[in-house]
Amino acid sequence: MAAPFTLRKIGVPPNSANLTEARRRVFDFFRAACRSLPTVMDIYNLQDVVAPSQLRFAISAQIRNNAHVTDPKALPLISVSLVIDLLLFKGMEELTDIVDHAKQRHHIIGQYVVGEGLVQNTGSKDQGKSDFLKNFYTSNYV
Amino acid sequence: MGVGILASRAIRPASRLLRSQPSNLLLRTIVSKPELQSPEAAAVSQPEPPKNQILPPRNPVGGARVHFTNPEDAIEVFVDGYAVKVPKGFTVLQACEVAGVDIPRFCYHSRLSIAGNCRMCLVEVEKSPKPVASCAMPALPGMKIKTDTPIAKKAREGVMEFLLMNHPLDCPICDQGGECDLQDQSMAFGSDRGRFTEMKRSVVDKNLGPLVKTVMTRCIQCTRCVRFASEVAGVQDLGMLGRGSGEEIGTYVEKLMTSELSGNVIDICPVGALTSKPFAFKARNWELKGTETIDVSDAVGSNIRVDSRGPEVMRIIPRLNEDINEEWISDKTRFSYDGLKRQRLSDPMIRDSDGRFKAVSWRDALAVVGDIIHQVKSDEIVGIAGQLSDAESMMVLKDFVNRMGSDNVWCEGTAVGVDADLRYSYLMNSSISGLENADVFLLVGTQPRVEAAMVNARICKTVRASNAKVAYIGPPADFNYDCKHLGTGPDTLKEIAEGRHPFCAALKNAKNPAIIVGAGLFNRTDKDAILAAVESIAQANNVVRPDWNGLNYLLLYAAQAAALDLGLIQQSAKALESAKFVYLMGADDVDVDKIPKDAFVVYQGHHGDKAVYRANVILPASAFTEKEGTYENTEGFTQQTVPAVPTVGDARDDWKIVRALSEVSGVNLPYNSIEGVRSRIKSVAPNLVHTDEREPAAFGPSLKPECKETMSTTPFKPVVENFYMTNAITRASKIMAQCSAVLLKK
Repeated sequence: MAAPFTLRKIGVPPNSANLTEARRRVFDFFRAACRSLPTVMDIYNLQDVVAPSQLRFAISAQIRNNAHVTDPKALPLISVSLVIDLLLFKGMEELTDIVDHAKQRHHIIGQYVVGEGLVQNTGSKDQGKSDFLKNFYTSNYV
Repeated sequence: MGVGILASRAIRPASRLLRSQPSNLLLRTIVSKPELQSPEAAAVSQPEPPKNQILPPRNPVGGARVHFTNPEDAIEVFVDGYAVKVPKGFTVLQACEVAGVDIPRFCYHSRLSIAGNCRMCLVEVEKSPKPVASCAMPALPGMKIKTDTPIAKKAREGVMEFLLMNHPLDCPICDQGGECDLQDQSMAFGSDRGRFTEMKRSVVDKNLGPLVKTVMTRCIQCTRCVRFASEVAGVQDLGMLGRGSGEEIGTYVEKLMTSELSGNVIDICPVGALTSKPFAFKARNWELKGTETIDVSDAVGSNIRVDSRGPEVMRIIPRLNEDINEEWISDKTRFSYDGLKRQRLSDPMIRDSDGRFKAVSWRDALAVVGDIIHQVKSDEIVGIAGQLSDAESMMVLKDFVNRMGSDNVWCEGTAVGVDADLRYSYLMNSSISGLENADVFLLVGTQPRVEAAMVNARICKTVRASNAKVAYIGPPADFNYDCKHLGTGPDTLKEIAEGRHPFCAALKNAKNPAIIVGAGLFNRTDKDAILAAVESIAQANNVVRPDWNGLNYLLLYAAQAAALDLGLIQQSAKALESAKFVYLMGADDVDVDKIPKDAFVVYQGHHGDKAVYRANVILPASAFTEKEGTYENTEGFTQQTVPAVPTVGDARDDWKIVRALSEVSGVNLPYNSIEGVRSRIKSVAPNLVHTDEREPAAFGPSLKPECKETMSTTPFKPVVENFYMTNAITRASKIMAQCSAVLLKK
């Protein structure tokens, strides 16, 4: 991303008018993130650890996590597009941090590389188990 | 102005900026006027308080209740103008305690005889020429006691000055600092300045063993330890040698304190003369967190307070419980805490094909055990609970094993044939405090000194107070009270049962006879015959009556009473030999050779003790200081331990492990929280849910069927070989190892 500091100086872009514009912005953000992936892999030396497709999957999973934010009736006081704008702002902030090398390799690997901690992998082992057993495996004091 | 003021200005330059007053004011120093220094000023009497003044109500010290043995015999005394009614034999100090006034003392202790040699308890009594020692003076009717007059205060200051004269300046290096009676009372009652300029005396230290550290220079000769050793512990080890300032407390010869109650002198000593050797220089008392819990080293269930600093147990202190252990605990209870730090199991382990253990995760360990348990037939599954197991884990174990189709679950210490139908047949029916009312004791096959030291202390107290007679049948053992050794085996018992023994006369003439049978007899093959003989003795001598039940059984392990209440009994003798899956829940005294070579053994416990070496899977559990468990003591009193420190490593609570294992094995137990387990226990043995309550046995010996067996002639064997090494924790303890090497009588 060119001149990230100038971007910061400009300030917050105006809010999206309606849901379609918010949707367009989400896709723009996703495109920007995917385009910055080669730089990220170069900065943090992730060539042997993970493939770009996996990182793209992780980014899209994070976005899909918040896919439930669509119902205007669920948020009576704030408009849905405002919430989406805020989530986008946070996503942009995170992306800028990563591209600026403000994070470190272990952050990227721990947060975005699909591994043991993320929800996708452990679903298979713990599906049929009760809360008691899950707490038992975690610790004595849960 | 003055050199002092200039000096004080130089010492505190920074405060110049903070001082709001102008600098030409005189700094006030503490001055004393000549009028106040004269002795007459101290003797000036205070103005009388106006009569008929409504005084606020007062409560006795410590919230104590006063017990009037004869309510007609109460006398009235006046303490600081406040009228109190006290029973007839009370001393002035006790009357002041009832009135809520705590009089300072060093040598007086409510459970020991009166010495009256420290003179700190001096109070002024009207019409008495000099202040009286309130601990020794009996309260007479109409006495007017004044505790806060100048005379009393001057007396206390004087006594404190004398005590501190020869006391070394050891506070920074003394372990008693922070909990020292001398420190507290000198702050409260002593004068603020000293005038001692001579040399202090010093005394050579005595060697009392690996438990009690002595620095005899600090001793103030209160003789509490001497009185304790001779009265409560029953050993005449300590004494006072010499006279005057050359007095020394010690054993006259080079003797160690071998009594099992020797650790209590550490609590009793008001100064740092006798302190705990393992605890020396380890911690100060204000950095310790005290947790009130229960001891599990024997079946007595003494109340203790576990002092911990972070994750480590630093020391164990007794708690007051009038019914069970009064204020004392045995040495094993007090000093075995360092075994909690050694040989601890912290991760689940599975034995590899090359015979070595490999640490695995809980998932894998439970999966392995769950697989194997389904490959075994139902009656080849055996579960054995250990001597330190709590009621919750034993309930879950029994439920699990039963639901797998097996009936073979028992607690170690209960041999085949012990039936738990009638509770009187395994409890101390007269209760530990009720033993004080007995006047004749018959001990059958039990050495209470090593099996349950607090019960022994209670018998000693009864013998001393009311001259009770004690007779003993069993192997030669030593007692700290006068005890007649009648015989060594069942023959003597048969003689008494048939009325041929001379002791029968003493039994018949006794008002409250007590028979104490040791649980070690439950392991004999002729157990039924022996117990039938004991019950016939009980019947012949009117031992079991509505108002007094003297037929007592002394259990050995903390888990035994609860196990028998929950029904963990051994049904068949061949269960262990034909087992293919053995689940040992802390069971270390199981004869490992009896387990077949191809059996799969799971060991769940907190120490790597004997049985671990045979195990195939190890599941780490928590020790009694780390879990909340229900324990029932030998008299049927239910108590709960409280966790004081966190569990070690990856260990879990016992009941949680069995519950998780049951879920992995596909058995659905209907509870998954500790409240659920307790409600299950409530449906089986409701007395285990009522903590801090004693549930006496409902029925007596009249319901037992006749016994047809005959007694064998093998004499009774001692049950406890080594007092200091009886369970997994004590065997792992370095202090206990030192004790057993040095203090056991050979």
